[in-house]
Amino acid sequence: MKARAARAPAPVPAPALAPKGPTAPPAPAATPTVAPTIARARTGAAAVLLAPFFVLFTAVMVVPIGYAVWLSLFTEKQSGLGFGGTETVFTGLDNYLAALGDRAFREGFGVLLGYCLLYIPLLLAGALTLALLLDSALARARRFFQLALFLPHAVPGIIAALIWVYLYTPQLSPVVEAMESGGVGFDFFSPEGALPSVVNIALWEWLGYNMVIFYAALQAIDRSVLEAATVDGAGSWRTAFSIKLPLIRASLAMVALFTVIGSLQLFTEPLILDKGTGSAVTSTWTPNMYAYTAAFDRNDYGLAAAASVLLALTAALLSFAVTRLTGRRAHDRKEQHA
Amino acid sequence: MSRSWSRTSPVVAVTAAALAVLTGCGGGGDGASAPAADGKPVTITFWGWAKGSKDVVDAFNASHRNIKVTFEEIPSGNAGGYAKISNAVKAGNAPDLVSIEYPSLPEFVSQGALQDIGAHLSDDVKGKLLPQAVELTTLGGKNWAVPFDAAPQAFYYRKDLFAKYGIEVPTTWAEFRAAAEKVKKTDARTRIATFFPDDPTSFQALAWQAGAQWFKAEGDTWKVDTTDAATHKVTAYWQGLLDAGLVHNHASFTPEWTSSLKNGSTIGYLGASWGAGVLKGTLPEQSGAWAVAPMPTWDGKPASGMLGGSTFAVTKDSEKAGPAVEFATWMATTEEGVKARIASGTSSAFPAAAGLRPVAKEAFDAGFYGGQDIYALFERAGASINPNWAWGPATGTTNLAIKDGFGKIANGGTTLADAIRAGHEATVAEMKKRGLKVEG
Repeated sequence: MKARAARAPAPVPAPALAPKGPTAPPAPAATPTVAPTIARARTGAAAVLLAPFFVLFTAVMVVPIGYAVWLSLFTEKQSGLGFGGTETVFTGLDNYLAALGDRAFREGFGVLLGYCLLYIPLLLAGALTLALLLDSALARARRFFQLALFLPHAVPGIIAALIWVYLYTPQLSPVVEAMESGGVGFDFFSPEGALPSVVNIALWEWLGYNMVIFYAALQAIDRSVLEAATVDGAGSWRTAFSIKLPLIRASLAMVALFTVIGSLQLFTEPLILDKGTGSAVTSTWTPNMYAYTAAFDRNDYGLAAAASVLLALTAALLSFAVTRLTGRRAHDRKEQHA
Repeated sequence: MSRSWSRTSPVVAVTAAALAVLTGCGGGGDGASAPAADGKPVTITFWGWAKGSKDVVDAFNASHRNIKVTFEEIPSGNAGGYAKISNAVKAGNAPDLVSIEYPSLPEFVSQGALQDIGAHLSDDVKGKLLPQAVELTTLGGKNWAVPFDAAPQAFYYRKDLFAKYGIEVPTTWAEFRAAAEKVKKTDARTRIATFFPDDPTSFQALAWQAGAQWFKAEGDTWKVDTTDAATHKVTAYWQGLLDAGLVHNHASFTPEWTSSLKNGSTIGYLGASWGAGVLKGTLPEQSGAWAVAPMPTWDGKPASGMLGGSTFAVTKDSEKAGPAVEFATWMATTEEGVKARIASGTSSAFPAAAGLRPVAKEAFDAGFYGGQDIYALFERAGASINPNWAWGPATGTTNLAIKDGFGKIANGGTTLADAIRAGHEATVAEMKKRGLKVEG
């Protein structure tokens, strides 16, 4: 505001007008041409509109990330028996080496990989199938199903995890009891069962959400294309696979990208499985949990920061790769059409 | 789904900590004056979760004019309370007085989160307390906390069902196994007790009882050995119980455990003195059906470890250590303090101050145990607490590693012995990383 006041000194002292700075009446002396004033007004408006974004972005992204990087370069040292207090020491990249050298941290990425391999195909296939069913001419009570399928997403992840823990617990759960009476014995908390258990919770939460995205994309398809297909004698199956699927490929890629990045952040559901049960989910099961445990159970903030930074870098690289990949494909397709 | 609000990233957590630091700096040093120097009471804040804390604070505030205590209930230590305390200390906005259990005290001390309260703790006060408890709160020759209760082990059992199944109360671990077999044979879905895969401290108490010594401070060096002969004996025994399916494997204090107690498929609980209040609060409809026995031992002679137990410690930056210790001492060593807590009905704390046990006994309504004199039993168990045990300075790391292993035992993913060994390795590595002198 100060800068603007200096640029366009008003003849009358009118500080109340200051907020409108760029549109304030031009000062008599400063009238060489009209164009620069408009340009200036535009930059000013842009600055005003963009400022909130940059302020928030700096406060909630840049500063914390910078602080995390800063923290990751230090560690706390003690001596002797350790009852003489601590000393904060600069350690360079030692925390990064410690995280990378820790088998538990590396195994966390292994768990994530397994999670992605199991979860993403199931999610995409499931959401697509539901969306196509809803979109097909056969569907009845579309609104009801749309809402019913989306509802689980309205339940916060932590509540969902708590509900599912209950449903997984032997002797409490009607599900486990029903499965057992049907001759199916499955231990949701065993080392083999833990991953499917978490995938199941995530599917329950996200299936409906992604189904809505696909359904919206399907609804946007030009109906005349579909009519033409019908006239040409294509059945429902043929229409779905040869017409609809190729036309919503962009949303498919987007959902895949978001799901991959989201999977890296896996935290809430396994944390509940770890804390609330005697399950095989460990306190360092995913990289995010590793960082959490390092900070809040082991009081090693340097290590926690280093692990978080490594995870963030992985996410950044991965999103870059996936965006480039899908972006190029879309570009190629356009060229072909042209 | 990339930016789901339900997924808390560590970056966010770090931000929260950073903001706490920023806001905390302004809050320090408000109105720290000597008690009643200017006629106004000194206000101190206290964080805890032990049963009856609120009642004790109310009783203190009602009877004291020079000190006012503000109480805030926090989650129990391992359920997030300790993280909350350390974060608050880091952020500079910690309360004056906090509850810390014996196992975690050395870790808080070594992190520099607490202050030496030796100057405010008279020998007279120390003399009133159980020597083992004073020993556990004295580290590096300084006093770091006021011990509140001792937590000798005890075996709780369903008197009615033991009689129905014709089972004698076991006094040795050999008899305990035989009893466990008989219970299982009589009713295939019922077990005598529970192994808690989520709670390493229950196992540590068993090792402690057997004479294990995981941590020893010699000179300025830690000697760590979680795999000594006594521990080995305990792991082998419990692995045997688990392999034969003679005990349930349920997380402690979860709906799973509670429901098995309610429906009578678990008829015993290997716990500690404070467990009497927990059972009473959890299973009101089974009043009169329960009884307490001494923990089974290896040779039939009384022996006990300690499972949990609270102390009160003053945080690093508090400028009101004097009043805080005065309040803590009042809670731990005066008749009014102990009475107020036990009379709340949910606490069966066994005071570390020997002279106050009659007070506690009087205040505790033992109807749930058919009027049994449970405090006399705790008294004998308390006297038999093995004095050699010490806690290490990295309990957080030790217990996480053990807990991670325990979770995999149920399905044969690992063994008790391997889980304990993993705990040992993680502990030694962590201590070395911190720059401590360690052998093990």
